Amino acid sequence: MNGFPPIADTAFAEAPWLLVVKSIVIFGVMFAILPLLTVLERKLLGRFQQRYGPNRVGPVGLLQPLADVGKLLGKEHFRPDGAVPFLFAIGPLLVVLSGILAIAIIPFGNVVDGVGLYGIDVSIGILYFFAVGSIAFYGLLLAGWSSGSKYSFLGAMRAAAQLISYEVAMGLSLLGVIFMAGSLSLVDIVEAQSGLWFIVPQIVGFLVFMLAGFAETNRTPFDLPEADAELVAGYQTEYGGMRFGSFLLAEYIEITVVSAIGAAMFLGGFLGPGPDWLGPLWMGIKTFVLILMFIWIRATIPRVRYDQLMSLGWKILLPIATLNALVTAVVVTLT
Amino acid sequence: MKEVLFWIGAIGAIGGAAAVVALRNPFYSVLALIAHLVSIAGLFLILQAEFIAAAQVVVYAGAVMVLYVFVAAYVGGIEEPKLDAIPGQRPLAFLVGAAIFIELSIAIVASGLLALDSGGPEVALGFGSPAGVGKLMLERFLIAFEAASLLLLIAAIGAVVLAERRRRDESDAEEALG
Repeated sequence: MNGFPPIADTAFAEAPWLLVVKSIVIFGVMFAILPLLTVLERKLLGRFQQRYGPNRVGPVGLLQPLADVGKLLGKEHFRPDGAVPFLFAIGPLLVVLSGILAIAIIPFGNVVDGVGLYGIDVSIGILYFFAVGSIAFYGLLLAGWSSGSKYSFLGAMRAAAQLISYEVAMGLSLLGVIFMAGSLSLVDIVEAQSGLWFIVPQIVGFLVFMLAGFAETNRTPFDLPEADAELVAGYQTEYGGMRFGSFLLAEYIEITVVSAIGAAMFLGGFLGPGPDWLGPLWMGIKTFVLILMFIWIRATIPRVRYDQLMSLGWKILLPIATLNALVTAVVVTLT
Repeated sequence: MKEVLFWIGAIGAIGGAAAVVALRNPFYSVLALIAHLVSIAGLFLILQAEFIAAAQVVVYAGAVMVLYVFVAAYVGGIEEPKLDAIPGQRPLAFLVGAAIFIELSIAIVASGLLALDSGGPEVALGFGSPAGVGKLMLERFLIAFEAASLLLLIAAIGAVVLAERRRRDESDAEEALG
């Protein structure tokens, strides 16, 4: 720790150079997989709808994202006259930043050979996820507000209302898991599931978490901020080129992050048969299953109405999550 | 490294706070306030108070300021009134500001400056961790903690009652008209 302050109390201190290497590896692997997720989603959506999906670019359409990004990069950076230039540029940046920051705490494994297979294991753990998640809200809102377009503004307002409504339910749904594990650190929470995955005792929490996750990532059936039939494309209406691409990128990062947090909190994360260094594989498989669920739901369930979204969040999910946390607290105290 | 982070946080905090007052557009003022709060969270991180830093971002930047942004974005663009709402509030503001400055100066000169030469208090490992903060809140400061939560509960119930009363008034007015 020569010269470096301990940025956070961690259970296990590592050399600064190791942290840098880990960041680069995690970043590289994640960003190699993310574009493939877009192809996967489009191909699966095609299958769900009895068509092929993209299959022309590269072997079975695998190079499609390369073509897409090439196209987006080549496009003009269009900006409406009424837009606020600085905020218009910073909006997509904040959205992507919030997603990337959250990747840091995803646990891919425990400490193997003196290297923790995670970005960083901070003591505040899951609170960090909520803290950086709240930054995404400002990205969406600034993007919508600074566009100087009523559709963008309405979309941003919807996104904001949705994010704060469902963040409460999401936080409460995770409380049960935190009570049972007795720790906020994701690595500790995963280790606490060595006997039984928390999805069994916390099935209610898991369902609330996933529903809130769909809403947080603005995915169908809760994609009201970008409801194309009413709002053109919501907060991203006026964006073009790679700035538009950043919103798409951020959406896939958020899906991956929420799936990974769900896998770690409820599905036993990196636990699985075999030696410890297989952790990332198990974590990857579990995360992948949850990502498939996101795509499956998108192809299956139509968009809900706005008032349905709000009453589901406040009148159903919030009480259920509160009750779940309360019952868990009582049970954990008694046993 | 620590010094660099401190100066970034300090400049962000003071610059943000100054911008809140100086900017004309309320929407930008709110954004500056958010920058200020996030900078403060950064300063908490340097002090190894991760829990406070996270709570600062989650509660203030993530919840309270969201409502401010909502209001500023919906209502924004209102012209400032030409006349002062309270007569003579400008000289009064200077007076109150000076009083607070003097009070803070006394507090800093009397106690804070003595600590400048020392390395600061010895902080045990895990001081700012969730477990440490939780223990303090629920054991040593239990009464203050419960009083604060009771206050929030009263405020929440009060908001519901007021909203309900207004709705009833409106329906009464409609009946009277009808």
